[in-house]
This record gives sequence, structure tokens and C-alpha cells, in this order.
Amino acid sequence: MDTVKNYLSVAFFAFWGGLARYGLTEALSFYGTVIANLLGCFLLAFLTYFFLRTSNSRAWLTTGLGTGFVGAFTTFSSFKMDAFKLLLGGQNFGALLYFTGTIAAGFLFAWAGKQAANFAAGKLLERG
Amino acid sequence: MIFAVGFGASLGSVVRYALTSYGKKHWMQGTACPRPTLFINLTGAFFLGLAFALRLPAIVYAFLGTGVLGGYTTFSTLNMEMVSLAENGQKHVFKRYLLASYLGGAILLTCGYYLGSLL
Repeated sequence: MDTVKNYLSVAFFAFWGGLARYGLTEALSFYGTVIANLLGCFLLAFLTYFFLRTSNSRAWLTTGLGTGFVGAFTTFSSFKMDAFKLLLGGQNFGALLYFTGTIAAGFLFAWAGKQAANFAAGKLLERG
Repeated sequence: MIFAVGFGASLGSVVRYALTSYGKKHWMQGTACPRPTLFINLTGAFFLGLAFALRLPAIVYAFLGTGVLGGYTTFSTLNMEMVSLAENGQKHVFKRYLLASYLGGAILLTCGYYLGSLL
């Protein structure tokens, strides 16, 4: 039963995560993918570590938000595709910058999300 | 168009969730390397390269490319796993995972693209 709940939750939240990314890329083209990916790294790390610390009992909600919404919001394949499109367009330097920049920034944003979660959870637990 | 992307993303994410749950149990014996995510991202990159080269109608590409494959692959999980590998001092696995994902993904997407161009 819990498994079914998790799957439904993932499907429901992924719908909105995918749409949010689509909206961003329609408005800002490949900058939209950058924003979605970096914001998503921060959000997923924050959600995961925050709920880990505060021992949330609603697993379906954290799975839906993390795996569903943020998982669909971020994308590995479009990131690769955008770098490839820059290469096809002859922008070799741009492609290299985009490629290495996103890799480094993604790691930093995920790390920052974890630190923020630990800080926020610490504050919350302090207050009781 | 909006529904094509949304439902595609739901479908892709459910497949990712199923594969990750399964893979965590069966593909990770004796390794810290997050093989399920690696498999998902590499196959997703290949198929997106293929879909792009096939010049599909806009609505089909929105469903398959932006929706299904965008929802199937994930950038956030990859980076969270890297943070956790780095903090656990798994330097060797970290380097291999980084290279396999980013370099492997680029190679597979290129393969998919040229395969699609031939079809």
C-alpha cells in the first residue's frame, strides 16, 4: 500500500516538476535548464537532509517532493543536449564553459543545500 | 503541449523511481557507486541524442524529450550523491562516478545523435 502511495505521489509531483522546467526553458531557453538544474540541486539536498534530521513520518510526501518534483524539475539529458547544441553551433568555448560551469556549480549548490538543511534543522530542534 | 510535457515527466519519473528502488537492492553489492542513477542518466542521454536527431514533430519531442527523458534523468540526485561520496571520503568512487556520468553521458548522447542522423 505504501508503495502504491509513493508511486502515485512521484507521478503527481513529477507532472508539476516537469512543467516548471518546461516553463523556464520556454521563457529563458537554455538558461532555464541551468536555473532548474542548480535550484534543483539545492532543493533536493535541502529537502533530503532536512527531513532526515527532523525525522518526518510522511515518506510519501518526501518521496513525491524529492524524487517526483525535484527529480523531474532537474534534467541530466537536457544538460548534455544543450552542451552538444552549443558544439554543433560551433561555440566550442561556450560549450566547454557551460559544461564545466554547470558541473562545478551543481556540486556547490547541492553542498550548500545540505549545509542550509543542517542549519535549519538545528534551529528547529533547538526550539523544540 | 503542456499536458504532453507533464504526463511525460510523470511517466519518466515513475520509471526512474522504479529503477532506482530496484537497482539499490540488486546492483550495488559491494560498491558505493550509485549505479542506478548512472544507468538512468547514461541511457537517458543516449535516447535524447537519438530523439533530437530524428527531428520529431514538436509535440512528440515535447512529450518524449522534454517530458519523459527530462523526467527520467536527474541532475539533482547525481549531485547529491557526489556530495555524499565526497563527505564519506570515497575519493576513488567519486572520481569514477564523475567521469562516468559526465564524460560517458557526452559520449552516449553523441552516439545517439549520430545513430539518429543515420536513420
